[in-house]
Amino acid sequence: MEMIIGGAFQGKKDFAKAAYPLLHWCDGREASEEEILKAGGILDFQEYIRRCLADGQDVSLLAEKLIEANPDVVLTCDEVGYGVVPMDAFERQYREAVGRVCTKLAAHSAKVTRVICGIGTVIKHV
Amino acid sequence: MKILITGGSGSGKSAFAEDTVLSLGEGKRIYLATMYPYDQESYKRIDRHRAMRSGKGFETRECYLDAGSLDLPENAIVLLECMSNLAANEMFMPEGAGDQTAEKITEDIQKLSQKVRHLVIVTNEIFSEAAIYEGDTRAYQQTLGTINRNLAAMCDACYEVVYGIPIPLKGGAA
Repeated sequence: MEMIIGGAFQGKKDFAKAAYPLLHWCDGREASEEEILKAGGILDFQEYIRRCLADGQDVSLLAEKLIEANPDVVLTCDEVGYGVVPMDAFERQYREAVGRVCTKLAAHSAKVTRVICGIGTVIKHV
Repeated sequence: MKILITGGSGSGKSAFAEDTVLSLGEGKRIYLATMYPYDQESYKRIDRHRAMRSGKGFETRECYLDAGSLDLPENAIVLLECMSNLAANEMFMPEGAGDQTAEKITEDIQKLSQKVRHLVIVTNEIFSEAAIYEGDTRAYQQTLGTINRNLAAMCDACYEVVYGIPIPLKGGAA
């Protein structure tokens, strides 16, 4: 598994597509669970987590499920945990869920790259 | 040894901080809990952290204000979590330091670190987002930002934890 993370609008998608030009990517905004579990690449994974939560699903085992079904996936995900604690309970739940799910995925990932200003810094590579 | 650990929400900074304490060897491990429980969500959060710490030999003590006046054994290895709560308590509790919070906490941490063997502090990144705040929230961000800079300057090591991956910002190995 490989993760490309960073703030919004930092060039994660371009970075990912340049690194893996032949990969088939699905979009977290619209992909079904089935697509997520078999895609070569996932863009905006945070949007998939948000949709699951909005749908009332429990995401506490989402990371385990993805690792099991799609261990070699490359995914991009926004870092959303760097702001003031949101007033809205759903927003609090969302930002913490993205963190928890991604922490588990990062532990499993062979490589994690953080993109800022379009520049990727590898923060984990085993 | 004084170590500052920062990171975003759900970043795995607590787990890393606990591992850091365990790596500092033997001593009296004390967890200074700073979050004042005011609702069901805080109790759930506390339970989660208690479960994470169980079996690691921590004695838990509550510290909502005045971190510098605690009575602690000299061989203590202290984990203070989280500075974001302590700062909010000092700023907004009636008996707290109010607009002198940054100075008060910087002094308190200086005093605390001189009493104990090792001090590990968890703080929080709440500074990078598009929303612009006003009033109390803005003042709180500024205060915590000042505290974080002061603490990083006095600490031997500082890490940012990103999804469980520690990125050294200052100093070498923990």
